[in-house]
Amino acid sequence: MSGPEQTPEDGVTRDDPMIAAEWALGLLEGEELLAARGKYATDPAFAWRKEWWDDWFAPLSDAIPGAEPGDHVWDGIAARVSAAQAAVSTEPSAPAANVVELQAKVRRWQWVAGISSMAAALALALFLSSPLGSPVAPPVQVAAAAPMVATVPVGDSGLRLDVTYIPDSKRMVVGAIGLTPDGVHDHELWLVPADGTPLQSLGVVKPGEVRSMELPQAVTAKLGDGASLVLTREPIGGKPEGKDAGPVVAKGAFTRV
Amino acid sequence: MAARPRPSSDDAREALRDAMARLAAGDQAALEEIYRATRVKLFGITLRILGDRKEAEDALQDVYVNLWQRADRYDPTRASPIAWLAAFARNRAIDRLRTGKVRGGAVPVEEAAPLPDESPLADALLIDAEQAAQIHKCLGGLDARTQGHIRAAFFEGKTYAQLAEAADVPLGTMKSWIRRGLQRLRACLEASEAA
Repeated sequence: MSGPEQTPEDGVTRDDPMIAAEWALGLLEGEELLAARGKYATDPAFAWRKEWWDDWFAPLSDAIPGAEPGDHVWDGIAARVSAAQAAVSTEPSAPAANVVELQAKVRRWQWVAGISSMAAALALALFLSSPLGSPVAPPVQVAAAAPMVATVPVGDSGLRLDVTYIPDSKRMVVGAIGLTPDGVHDHELWLVPADGTPLQSLGVVKPGEVRSMELPQAVTAKLGDGASLVLTREPIGGKPEGKDAGPVVAKGAFTRV
Repeated sequence: MAARPRPSSDDAREALRDAMARLAAGDQAALEEIYRATRVKLFGITLRILGDRKEAEDALQDVYVNLWQRADRYDPTRASPIAWLAAFARNRAIDRLRTGKVRGGAVPVEEAAPLPDESPLADALLIDAEQAAQIHKCLGGLDARTQGHIRAAFFEGKTYAQLAEAADVPLGTMKSWIRRGLQRLRACLEASEAA
């Protein structure tokens, strides 16, 4: 999420509760929507506020006339549920009560292995810092599949990176709100694949900004469950070519939302 | 406690709360009960937002399959089950709208089914009456223009850009109007909670 954004005419501060309201109302799109979803998964205060707005807005839907869906809708639901359950029941030692967790397991994506050290060419696109009056960016394809999120706490500072990966769009949103540059270091984010293959750079983190990037196939292929992230301290500009990466200052792991 | 104005509605809400709890505990049969009780209301919502029967039915399917997978996410101490489900269905429909998979977006108002402002359907499973009165009161306290835009966002799934275009004002102006409205709305709702 961007830092508080001032609406030009009246000075309304666009703080997190405001963004939660905009999201609950359905106004957000594109990368702002992705960032809000990521924040929801990692920030309990934000999630609480989003649900607060959802609860308050919900009674408005009483004004919407009901409608009867076709019979095939329930058939489809029942079929999808039993297909998922059939898959679950093939797993040995599956406690029946644990359907929800097992269901998630079944739905886990099959990640294709593929090795490449290429990651330097990530196109980092700035967003959220554009002035209010500028044209809206075309909406990004928001995933139907569950996003993955990681929180990378930085020491005991209470500061952290919020990283959200949206499988369908192959986009990653990295929020570094609250971090400030020290003027002599940059921090570089690395993906640590679960299969023990070499770290892949996700680029230099921009303190105080939320960035969205499209990930190359080489990186997304490694982004399965168990993949984790580390943040290293580097000279300005990131790890120099041919040198070892700097010290790890923070780490986190991906979980499915 | 004062006389209950709608005992049948209270019973329906309790039955739903119970079914949600059983679903969260892994009772799959509860899903069908929930579907039978809520499909008309939730389909009304997805249809309203998506404006296309096929899309709305697909969205509805997603809602219930998702509910089955994550029934434990519902917190019974927080919202009434139907309020939570209504928000859940609307959120899923909006997500679908924002994926760009849906061509048109919501039905234009004049094409959509008539939208009664204050008189909810008698046979519907209603959301808490007191809470409903409060949000209507707070919304009603906004100027008509802002209220109209917030309603268009809620009922038609409009984005800032679409609202600005429809009103023929700069995007920044629309954001400013709505944010000011949301700020006042929040203050009004919070005041009602504190009371």
